[in-house]
Amino acid sequence: MSPGLRSALPVVLFLIAGFAAPLIAVIWFSFMPARTFSFGGTPTLENYTTIIESSNYISFLWSLGLGAVTVTLLALICYPIAYGLVRIFGKWSTLITLLFTIPLFVSENIRLYGWVLFLIKNGVLLGTIKSVFGVEPESILFTLPAIVLGMVYVYFPFMLFPMTLGISMVPQDTRDAAMDLGASRWQVFREVELPLSMPGILIGCLLTFVLAVGAIAEAKVLGGQQIIPITHDIEIAFTYAQNWPLGAALSVLLMAVVGTLVLIVLRRFNLDQLLGRR
Amino acid sequence: MTRTPISRRNFMQQSALWAAAFAGAGAATTGLAHAAREKELNILCWEGYNSAQVLDPFRSSRGATVKAESLTNDPTMINRLRAGETKIWDLINVNNPWARKIMLPEGLIKPLDKSKFEPFFNAMMPEFKAPYKWAMDEAGAELIGMAQRFGPYSFVVNTDKVSRAAAEDQGWNLWNDPANAGKYGILESDDWNVFCLCAISGFDPFKVHSDDEVAKFTETAKRVFKGAKLVGDIATMNQAMVAGEIDFHLTGGTYSASPARADGQPQIRGITPKSGPFQGGKGGIAWIEITSVVNNPELSPLAEDFLAYVQAPDVSHTVAFAEGTFNPVTQMGNPECFKLFSKEELDAIQWDSLAEEMGRSVEYDIVPDYDKLLDIMTAAKREASGG
Repeated sequence: MSPGLRSALPVVLFLIAGFAAPLIAVIWFSFMPARTFSFGGTPTLENYTTIIESSNYISFLWSLGLGAVTVTLLALICYPIAYGLVRIFGKWSTLITLLFTIPLFVSENIRLYGWVLFLIKNGVLLGTIKSVFGVEPESILFTLPAIVLGMVYVYFPFMLFPMTLGISMVPQDTRDAAMDLGASRWQVFREVELPLSMPGILIGCLLTFVLAVGAIAEAKVLGGQQIIPITHDIEIAFTYAQNWPLGAALSVLLMAVVGTLVLIVLRRFNLDQLLGRR
Repeated sequence: MTRTPISRRNFMQQSALWAAAFAGAGAATTGLAHAAREKELNILCWEGYNSAQVLDPFRSSRGATVKAESLTNDPTMINRLRAGETKIWDLINVNNPWARKIMLPEGLIKPLDKSKFEPFFNAMMPEFKAPYKWAMDEAGAELIGMAQRFGPYSFVVNTDKVSRAAAEDQGWNLWNDPANAGKYGILESDDWNVFCLCAISGFDPFKVHSDDEVAKFTETAKRVFKGAKLVGDIATMNQAMVAGEIDFHLTGGTYSASPARADGQPQIRGITPKSGPFQGGKGGIAWIEITSVVNNPELSPLAEDFLAYVQAPDVSHTVAFAEGTFNPVTQMGNPECFKLFSKEELDAIQWDSLAEEMGRSVEYDIVPDYDKLLDIMTAAKREASGG
């Protein structure tokens, strides 16, 4: 055994025990007979067949769709803010960054219940409108827009900070050079800033997408389970249904779908190449 | 003081020595851990028994380390024992049928000392006097658990929107009236929702169902989930009813309505229909918790001690009003315990109609084809979200 390998052994063993082993356990469990609790059954594909024959595709589509919508909205919302934090807000940037960071110290569920109190009929928003204007608009709570609002709110920092980092990596000299050579502000943005900040944007998008596809609390708390994302299906399989092999198979499929999508994006936009260009 | 320079070789030697020392210490700790079960108790329960109000006096009086984990459905707790956790837990607190019909036959729990525990039943409310069916094995010979919290559990209405009398008369047909679509919620309590959907479909849940009944259940599940304004937890249901988002919700009763009632919202009320499709034409369902001693090979001696501790009038009252939800307790049959309940507390647990509602309810039982019905219901819920 080479000294390098020997030195790396503790970390390798730690990774195998802490990262690979649970993953392998989940994958192996997905091939166990339905509603069993042991690793010792005869491997079968029945869980995957059940998923294909059932309506689980609806949940997959909701999760992927909500993930895509969240990423798109966040990219549009966060880019101007990130740009401002790097180039415009100056000394206020630290304070603004702090304000965006503070909510992360509060549990996600508590923040979402805060939104429930804000949006609910006779709550902070509608109650105030009712008492001030005498009108009572319909509440958006327990609808699809409320879920999207919750997801955009919760995953906002995960898009903003990588994006800010990406924009801050664009050298001022490069922008100045483009301006000196006669580029318009639009051209500087499109041909210099956007491509050079792409690693940050891409990392933000990937991070947000992976987190958003795994979201469950927003659909439960703000959506009143009007939408069942795939993570909720997995939760039901592991709890009320006590069908751990089915839950494991759903988890494996989710990992496979998300992993494939991420790989496709990474192939399309090669991060090394993007970073290497600089 | 001399210092030995660290070379690669003596680093490895020293590491090996340290590892051996830790391993030795670990082994010694394990030995101690076995002996220390005298002062250790692990409880798997519904919320309330895990609260500091209930556990702290026991901890301090016995100098014991008590760990209690709360879960909110019976099958998960029982499967934890099935998956080998009988070695961990000393007490399990689940609803009535599981001890007698599943856990004892599967060897997951063991009988109690009858001479020590049977007398406690004589101080309980009349319907729980020994031998109490759900606390006994099928043969009626062994005492296998203690009864404490209980309550009717069918559905909940906001009486400002639907009167108690109308809800009791209309019963499960509230969910068969197309005019009510969008006016109700469904509590996220999937096992109980299976029972309720059977009742809405017009048949008893606690039996094997015919193909026709399964088809009817499928149609009901799709329709009821499609018409639900929201599905959520107890806090969400109560909040949505108080705010006026919904007028009533499926699966609920004293257990779920009591936090809102205790918070000054008496219009939130658990309802037991006057009649329904249950055995004997009864209209609702009731649950009774049974706490049993786990068949742990190294059972803590504190397990039976704790079971006796929670029978005391003051502790029973604390259990009834522990954090989370508030519930009647069987020990209210003892005047010493009953006098500890204030008028507000009795109102919160609907004491005024408790006997009447329990009389109109069948006791929670096991649904033989639960897996099939649950899968149908889960699919219906998912498909309702498909647009």
